[in-house]
Amino acid sequence: MKDPINEPREYRNDARRKMFSSSFSVTCLLVSSLAIVVLATLLLSIFSTGGGWLSAEMLTASHRENNPEESGIGQAIIGSLVICTICGLAALPIGVGTAIFLEEFKPKNRFLRMLHGLVQLNINNLAGVPSIVYGILGLTAFVYMFGAFSPIRVNDQPDYEIGATYSYQTKTLGGNYVRFPATPKIQPFFEIKQPRQVSSSEGQPFKLNVVSATTDAAEYKDKLEETVILGTKAELTSHNGVESYTTQTLGGTTVFFKAEPTYSQFAKILEPLMVSDPEGNTFELNVLSKSDAIPTNPEVLSKSVFADSPDPTKRSSASIFRENSFFHMHLPFSKSVLSAGLTLALVILPIVIIASQEAIRGVPQTLREAAFGMGATRWQVVRSAVLPSAIPGIMTGAILAMSRAVGEAAPLLAVMGGVLGTTNHLSSLMDKTPVLPVTIFKWAGDENQGFEHLAAAAIIVLLAFLLLMNSVAIFIRYRYEKKLA
Amino acid sequence: MQKLATPSNRAQGRSLSKSTKYQASTATIDSSSESMMTAIDIANFNAFYGTFQALHDLNLKIPRQQVTAFIGPSGCGKSTLLKWCNRMNDIVPIAHATGSLKVGDRNILSRNTDVVDLRRQVGMVFQKANPFPKSIFDNVAYGARLHYKISRSELYELVEWSLKKAALWDEVKDRLKSSALGLSGGQQQRLCIARAIATGPEILLMDEPCSALDPASTARIEDLIFELRRQFTIVIVTHNMQQAARCSDRTAFFFEGKIVEEGATEDVFTRPQKQQTEDYVTGKFG
Repeated sequence: MKDPINEPREYRNDARRKMFSSSFSVTCLLVSSLAIVVLATLLLSIFSTGGGWLSAEMLTASHRENNPEESGIGQAIIGSLVICTICGLAALPIGVGTAIFLEEFKPKNRFLRMLHGLVQLNINNLAGVPSIVYGILGLTAFVYMFGAFSPIRVNDQPDYEIGATYSYQTKTLGGNYVRFPATPKIQPFFEIKQPRQVSSSEGQPFKLNVVSATTDAAEYKDKLEETVILGTKAELTSHNGVESYTTQTLGGTTVFFKAEPTYSQFAKILEPLMVSDPEGNTFELNVLSKSDAIPTNPEVLSKSVFADSPDPTKRSSASIFRENSFFHMHLPFSKSVLSAGLTLALVILPIVIIASQEAIRGVPQTLREAAFGMGATRWQVVRSAVLPSAIPGIMTGAILAMSRAVGEAAPLLAVMGGVLGTTNHLSSLMDKTPVLPVTIFKWAGDENQGFEHLAAAAIIVLLAFLLLMNSVAIFIRYRYEKKLA
Repeated sequence: MQKLATPSNRAQGRSLSKSTKYQASTATIDSSSESMMTAIDIANFNAFYGTFQALHDLNLKIPRQQVTAFIGPSGCGKSTLLKWCNRMNDIVPIAHATGSLKVGDRNILSRNTDVVDLRRQVGMVFQKANPFPKSIFDNVAYGARLHYKISRSELYELVEWSLKKAALWDEVKDRLKSSALGLSGGQQQRLCIARAIATGPEILLMDEPCSALDPASTARIEDLIFELRRQFTIVIVTHNMQQAARCSDRTAFFFEGKIVEEGATEDVFTRPQKQQTEDYVTGKFG
């Protein structure tokens, strides 16, 4: 070896070394700006496609088939928020609990230590599993619950259910709906054979009459709106500026027919004639000859139904009607927002656990020692020393995980189906709802060009949502760092 | 109790206290029976980390209401012994010990020892000040809230008493609600002492309490140790031999996991029996 001090070595080419260094930094700059260019292109294309479609109406309206101009993401935004909340409420306690177990309650026993290590290994692996796999897991675990309960069928009562009241509903001859409570064993339909106590849709109780159905009357049962009794009086009135006679049909519709020539204040209907309703539709008015077969008084009509008829199509049957309260639940959860939220919780659980573990590991050991040294139990150490210091990190991780959950489409397609719009508003956890990512997925693939633009507009909303959540995470971290320093 | 922070006052206070101290301790030893006077009784004690034996067959009696100093080079096991005195080594999964380590009448190494109650009786102050990221008040009240049902006003009195004992009250009485992390290093360490004595321990273990502090703060802590000695049994681990000489009544010299020599501080420093002790206290090695 040469003596490093007395026998100087030859220098490496200095200029070349420095040039390599500077050219490497330029390369790094180019590569990182490429990422920014891609992002900028993405934002530009989305804004140019969907920016013009963004409007207050679009944010509140719901999906309309073949009508992108009037469609919107109102239901989808609410759906996404609800599912995200369920997901957070489920994932946060389980995730933080698991992280505390893994970090703070390490067992001494060798066998338990192996189990502990196995759990840790699994969590690390689960973080990389594609989300559609969780979708299938959610389908098995939450939607069908491993087949442990009988599956949910339309118009059938699930075995395990709370928060739902069942009643039978039927339409009276007067055209209004009445209800009566369903017997314990419910069926899709119930045939009314005898007079019984019912209540109106306003909750007014009364006795429902049963009218014997003659062949003639039963024939017109479904056309009561277009039927009057022979000899029904019509009153002279002015309709759209024309002198007309008006009367009410058995179904409660007001109809008009021309008074020509005007003879008297009243007219009697004695034969079928052409009439028009207030909307301007014209149709032939049926005249029922056997006036004794059904009552004519509208008040009585509104409290009457036909009795059982030999002809099944003319039966006066009540159909089952379900009212759900906000806490309506059944087992299995079937395809519902609850299943969707829990499935998303599974998706983000590994992320929440790993982030929480990092945060807990970041708490200085001296704090634990201080608490243990004061005589705190293991749980008191966790609650009073570890968690307060780890909460900012845990919250940041949880919010970032939830912002991933908001953007997930695949597991939701599996556990809720591709719902685009529902007739009812989300009223309980057992309902289905459209969500932003699924809506975007469906719209982007729609034949109608307008929906592609609308999908781009929805993407802008989703991005804004994600940006908001990430800023909240940054804000929390900043605030607690300041507080702890 | 609160001493002024001027150097001259402090030096005077310390020299005064030193002269009276030895008389007091000798007097008590003569007039009491040995078992009454022993706070911690260590017999045939071995401590292990996994297969490594950190302490070999220790026998030591730590007297009540005196300051005992553990000295010795790094890695000699003095901190290990200190941590076994309130079972802080339970946090280390591979640590275990054999023999007998009695606090009062019970062998705390036994499996059914209530470590929570033990740590209430045997408080600990660590090398690095470790206040919780809470207010000064909450820090001192922490132990009392853990162990006792205590009313708000009583808690306030307890915090005041502890802070006065730790000679910190005058400096923090106007900002009890502000964060403990805003205090200086020396104040934080005194806060930790206040926190430890607030649960009313009989024994106070101090693991190099001054090693991270500047000389002025160190002097204040040493004064405090001297004051507290009247009410608590104090065991202090230190690397600083002057510190051991200044503030302890008895000294145990550790070397490679064994107690080489143990006795009254004056004897250990001025008339060591063993060559190793003499080499160490005179600065030939360590």
